[in-house]
Amino acid sequence: MKVLVVNNMAPFVWGGAEELAENLVRRLNVTPGVQSELLRLPFQWEPAERLPLEIYIHRTYRLQNIDRVIALKFPAYLVPHERKTLWLLHQFRQAYDHGREETHIPDTERGRDIRRLIRESDAACFSACAKIFVNSEITRRRLGANSGVTGEVLLPPMNDPELFAGGESGGYVFAGGRINRAKRQHLLVEAMRHVESGVRLVVAGPPDAPEDGERLRRLVGEYGLDGRVALDLRLLPRGEIARYVNGALACAYLPFEEDSVGYVTMEAFTAAKPVLTASDSGGVLTIVADGRTGWVAAPDPRALAAALDAATTRPGRTAQMGAEARAAWQKLDVNWPSTVERLLS
Amino acid sequence: MKIVVASSFVPFVDGGGRFIVEWLTERLRAEGHAVERIYLPFIDVPTTMLEQTLAYRLIDVAQSADRLIAIRPPAHVIPHPNKVLWFIHHFRAFYDLWDSNYRSVPDRPESHAMRRRLWHMDGIALREARRVLTISKVVASRLRDFNGVPSEVVYPPLHRPEQFRCDGYGDEILCISRVEYHKRQDLLIEAMRFVRSPVKLRLCGIGLSPDYRRALIGIVERHGLHGRVTLDYRWVGEDEKIDLFANALAIAYVPFDEDGVGYPALEAAPARKAVVTTTDSGAVVELMRDGINGEVLPPDPAAIAGAFDRLYLDRARARRMGEAHAAHVAGMNITWDRVLERMLA
Repeated sequence: MKVLVVNNMAPFVWGGAEELAENLVRRLNVTPGVQSELLRLPFQWEPAERLPLEIYIHRTYRLQNIDRVIALKFPAYLVPHERKTLWLLHQFRQAYDHGREETHIPDTERGRDIRRLIRESDAACFSACAKIFVNSEITRRRLGANSGVTGEVLLPPMNDPELFAGGESGGYVFAGGRINRAKRQHLLVEAMRHVESGVRLVVAGPPDAPEDGERLRRLVGEYGLDGRVALDLRLLPRGEIARYVNGALACAYLPFEEDSVGYVTMEAFTAAKPVLTASDSGGVLTIVADGRTGWVAAPDPRALAAALDAATTRPGRTAQMGAEARAAWQKLDVNWPSTVERLLS
Repeated sequence: MKIVVASSFVPFVDGGGRFIVEWLTERLRAEGHAVERIYLPFIDVPTTMLEQTLAYRLIDVAQSADRLIAIRPPAHVIPHPNKVLWFIHHFRAFYDLWDSNYRSVPDRPESHAMRRRLWHMDGIALREARRVLTISKVVASRLRDFNGVPSEVVYPPLHRPEQFRCDGYGDEILCISRVEYHKRQDLLIEAMRFVRSPVKLRLCGIGLSPDYRRALIGIVERHGLHGRVTLDYRWVGEDEKIDLFANALAIAYVPFDEDGVGYPALEAAPARKAVVTTTDSGAVVELMRDGINGEVLPPDPAAIAGAFDRLYLDRARARRMGEAHAAHVAGMNITWDRVLERMLA
C-alpha cells in the first residue's frame, strides 16, 4: 500500500509539525506492506487575499499512484483523493475564532467572504474523508464547535520513549522545551523568588529568539537566583534532555493555551515524573490531574511557588505521583505501532 | 543565499528529474546555501494539465527565497523575480510529438486551443527567467525552434563519478536502466539473435509496465536466448552497479528519442567502457563520436549485433574505445562545479 502523507510548509521554517510528519513517514515505511512518502506543499497565508488562491491551488493539485492519503493541516487536506484520512493538527483558526484570535483577515465584507470560503472548503473536505483523527482533546473540541464534525483523539507518540526510563530524583524541577514568551518559563523563574523550600529549577532548551533567553538571564540576575536556578539555553541532544528528565524530582510545563499535550509532558510521564502546569495551559490539562499526576496551579508566581514547595517537601508523595503519571500514560497506549495501525484502519 | 529548488514529481517514482533535484540540493548545501526542496504533484493528463499548471503559477515562494531553481515542468511557471530554469523537457505531446504517432491528445479543436495556451504560457515562463539552462542540445534546440528562447546547455553530472572504476573487459554487454517501452531493451534482446560470437547481454532494472517485462521474457523464450541473455528484473543498488560496470565489456543504451544524455552513457565514462547506442536515441548521441568512443548504429537488431561482435572479438578495441569515452566525457566538463557556477551566476 502506497501512503502519501500531505503537510504544508513555509520555505525555511521547521517545527513540531514538520518533525511529526517526517516521523510518521518513517514509521509507515517500517510497517510491513506499506510504502510512504511525504508531500510538503507551500502555503503562504499573507496577505489575506492569498487564502482563496491557496484553497484553489490545493484543490487543483492532482495525485496518482497513491492508495491512501494522510493529511495533517489546512489547506494540505484539501488536495483531492478518494481515500483520505485526516490527522488534524489544527484548522485555520482565524476563520473560526473570530474576535478571540489575532487575525490578518479584515473585518469587512470581503474578509467575511474569505472566512466563509475557508469554512465551506473545510466542511466539504471533512464530509468526504474516510476518517478524521485529531492530535488532542482541544483540537477535537474545536473541530466539533467549528465544523460539527467528530474527530477521534490520536495523540502523536514520542519517537524515543526508551530514553525516558526514569531514575532517582536529583532534587530539582526540570523545565524543558523551546523557550519563548508563550511557553512562560519566565513565570517559573519568578516563582523561584517566592519558594520557601530548598527547591532548585533547571530550565533547558533553545530560545526562539535571543531576547527569549535574555529575559530569563535578566530575571535570574535581578532576583539573585544564581545557584538555585540553572539555565542551559541551547538546542540539546536528546540524550541530554533525557538525562535531565530522568534525574528530576518533577517536571514543569506551562505553555499558554496550547492545543497539544506537548512532548515535554509525554517525556515526563514516560519517565515517571509528575508535571507542574498552569490552569490555562490547554492540552496539558487533558492528562495532568491535580494532586494525582501533577499540580495544576494558577498562572501566577506565588501559586506556582506553592506547588514547587509541595513537590519538594514531600518527595515520597511526589515519587508516588510520578508512578501514577507513568501508569496513566501507559494506559493511553500512545506509541507508534498502534498509531500507525489506527491511521491505516 | 536562500534557494528554493522546485520540481514536479510522481510520488513513489524515481526518475532522472528527481535525481537532479536531490543531487543539486546536496551540492548547493555543501556550498553553504540554505536550500528548500519543493516537490509538487503533477499528473500527465491533458484534460487537467492547464489547471494544474495554473496552480503552480499561483504559488508564492517569492517572499521567502532569494532564488528559485525550477527543474521539471510545470515548475518553470512558478513566479520568482530571480528564477533560474534547468529545463529538462517540454510537454512534448504539444511540441515536437504533435505531428507524430506519439501524440497523446486527440485531434480536436479544444486540443489545438490547449496547445496554443500552453505555448503562450511556456513563452511567458521562459522569458521571465533570469537564465535558462537546459540538459542537452536536443532540448536547447526545441526551446529555440518552438519558443524562440536561447538557452545554455549544462549537462547534469553524475552524483559521484569517482566511485566508478574499471576492472577489465568481460564477456557481457551491460544495460542498467528502467525497463520501459521507450528504453527499448527489446531491441537489445533482438540483436542477440544475430550475434555470431559468444558475447552475452545483461539487462538490469525495473519499470512500471508489467506488459513490457512480459514481452521481454517472451522474446528470450521464443528465440531460446537463455544463457546468452540475463534479464535481471530488479533495482540494482549503487555498489552492485559499480561492480557490474567495472567488469562489463561495454555499455548498451538505446532508448528512443531521449531528452537527456542518459545516466548509463555517462556512467560508462568513469568505468572506461565503450557505449553502443542508436541514431534515434536523442541526446545520448551528443556524447558520442561514432567509432571512437563507441558505436552509433541504426535502430536495427542486426546492426547492433555487429557492434556487439566487434567488441567481443577485439578486446583491445573495446578498451581503446572505453578509454576514449572516458577522455571525451572528461573533456566536456560535466561537473557540479560548472553546474553551480551557471546556477548561481
